[in-house]
Amino acid sequence: MSVKELTHQIFSRERLTAQRLAITLAVLAMVLIAASVFSIAVGSEHVGFTNVIRVIGAEITGHAADVSAEQRIIIADIRLPRVLMAIVVGAALAVAGSAYQALLRNPLADPGILGISSGAALGAISATIFAESLPISRPVAAFGGAVITIAVVYAVGQGRRESGTVRLILGGVIINALLSSIVIFLVTSVAGARQRNVISWLIGDLSGESRLLLPVAVFVLIGIGAVYVNARSLNLMMIGEQDALTLGVEARRVKIAVYLAASLLTGAAVAVSGAIGFVGLIIPHAVRLVGGSDNRLVVPASALVGGIFLMLADTIARTAVAPRELNIGVITSLIGAPVFVYLLRRTN
Amino acid sequence: MTIEVSDIRFSYTRPVLRGVSFKVGSGELFAVLGPNGSGKSTLIKIIVGMLKPESGCALIDGRNPASMSRRDIARVIGYVAQESAVLFPITAMELVLQGRFAQGGLIGFESDRDISEAEWAMRVTETTEFAATPVNELSGGERQRVMLARALAVRPRVLVLDEPVANLDISHQVKVLDLVRRLTSESEMSAIVVTHELNLAADFATSALLLKSGEMIAVGKPQDVMTESLLRSVFETDLVVDENPASGSPRVTLIRRKSEISDLRM
Repeated sequence: MSVKELTHQIFSRERLTAQRLAITLAVLAMVLIAASVFSIAVGSEHVGFTNVIRVIGAEITGHAADVSAEQRIIIADIRLPRVLMAIVVGAALAVAGSAYQALLRNPLADPGILGISSGAALGAISATIFAESLPISRPVAAFGGAVITIAVVYAVGQGRRESGTVRLILGGVIINALLSSIVIFLVTSVAGARQRNVISWLIGDLSGESRLLLPVAVFVLIGIGAVYVNARSLNLMMIGEQDALTLGVEARRVKIAVYLAASLLTGAAVAVSGAIGFVGLIIPHAVRLVGGSDNRLVVPASALVGGIFLMLADTIARTAVAPRELNIGVITSLIGAPVFVYLLRRTN
Repeated sequence: MTIEVSDIRFSYTRPVLRGVSFKVGSGELFAVLGPNGSGKSTLIKIIVGMLKPESGCALIDGRNPASMSRRDIARVIGYVAQESAVLFPITAMELVLQGRFAQGGLIGFESDRDISEAEWAMRVTETTEFAATPVNELSGGERQRVMLARALAVRPRVLVLDEPVANLDISHQVKVLDLVRRLTSESEMSAIVVTHELNLAADFATSALLLKSGEMIAVGKPQDVMTESLLRSVFETDLVVDENPASGSPRVTLIRRKSEISDLRM
């Protein structure tokens, strides 16, 4: 194959090719690694890039690193888990967003806007209050809350003929308002010092919960995998459920699998970091703008870009007004709300 | 491939189909005619297995679509719905390749064969130039031809089209129906086409069905179905049917008459 043919295949906008997918994901993975090193290095206590690489290398290989104990603790025990958590949560929210958008045939769908994050938050907060001794109960309850909410929003948003954008989003807003008031009621019933933590978590916060990193990462990997194996079916569902049916997609099975997977992703993210808004909306949209609408690209690329985005947003949250921390949810909302308004105007 | 429809009945809140039967043979182009709300689209949705009839059945080569998997049906039938709104910027090429879904794996990429089938379908529908264009940026008529290309990329043995020429200019109306006619006569493919274009149906169809309020009024050769008296009573419109001087098939001419609603003031 000549160089010309190869470049044509990679940059052809007619359709997604395996080469274009592989190269895009490889570039994004490299950016993710570089951004992680940067993110670990900056903070109230600056550590050198080389030290970051040495310590992480040592963690992986098991050798001792030639770095002071203090720096080793900052890098390996404080910042690395937080960066990894940001990647996991960002990936989960972005893939959940891309899945809801394809299923609901609506580029404006997002777990936050549809009220699904609130449902997950209600589940998580109930578990915090009623089953505090079991840390794993939180992601599980958040998953349950997300599943129930998407079912309700879908039923409300479903018109007699077709589900319009406005109707669906309106349904989400209403459910969101209802769930939020219940969540606030529960928060006010929590005593004293714990209340501040719960409120901070509710706005969106990545500072705690590193003990849940491993189980949540497992949930998220399962969720992304389950969406990805349905990516080709989702390409057809995105155009129309009836069309997809006549072209051979088992639409019902795909719908159930992807709804469950997206709810698992939302639940896992909300359980550890609260209701971080707009990631699920902006990231898949940006990916489609650059890379096209094929979900075989949109799903994995959204995972990587979502991870990069949330990690960088969290770096701002940690450093902007140091030594105090901003809530990451505030930052994503400041970026996301104007983008949402822009998209809403453009679709109509 | 043959389609055999026997005594299909279907109702939503009111009855939509009240006992429809016909047979479409291999290589036929079968036109379904009738006024709005006569049950044409419902009939087609039953044939492609999207709706289940209350009684009766539609058999494709003797097999009931209700007992076939979606994948098996999709390998045989190419279907274009009346209208599809596309909100995502998917390219025309990607859309046409969706027609190959049932031929490939659930994951992975399209084969070289899939690509060449899609390229063929776009060539014959004259949509190749849109290959890299997002479908949501195409005009209604252009999108309709891309949708037809997607159905042809299936390499179907039955092509089912719901108003395929509704948004097309006269040149493309003729081109699309001529394409379907040639595909049916040059292969084993049969086609079922819902249309309001009576004159085009008369020219291109090998047989036709006339529906009114879910009732089968006539079925047979176009010249037997499209008679002046039948069309007048079915469409409740003044019209003249004579012979098309170019093709010899029935020609329908509408006659203007005074509206029954004589007073347009509020």
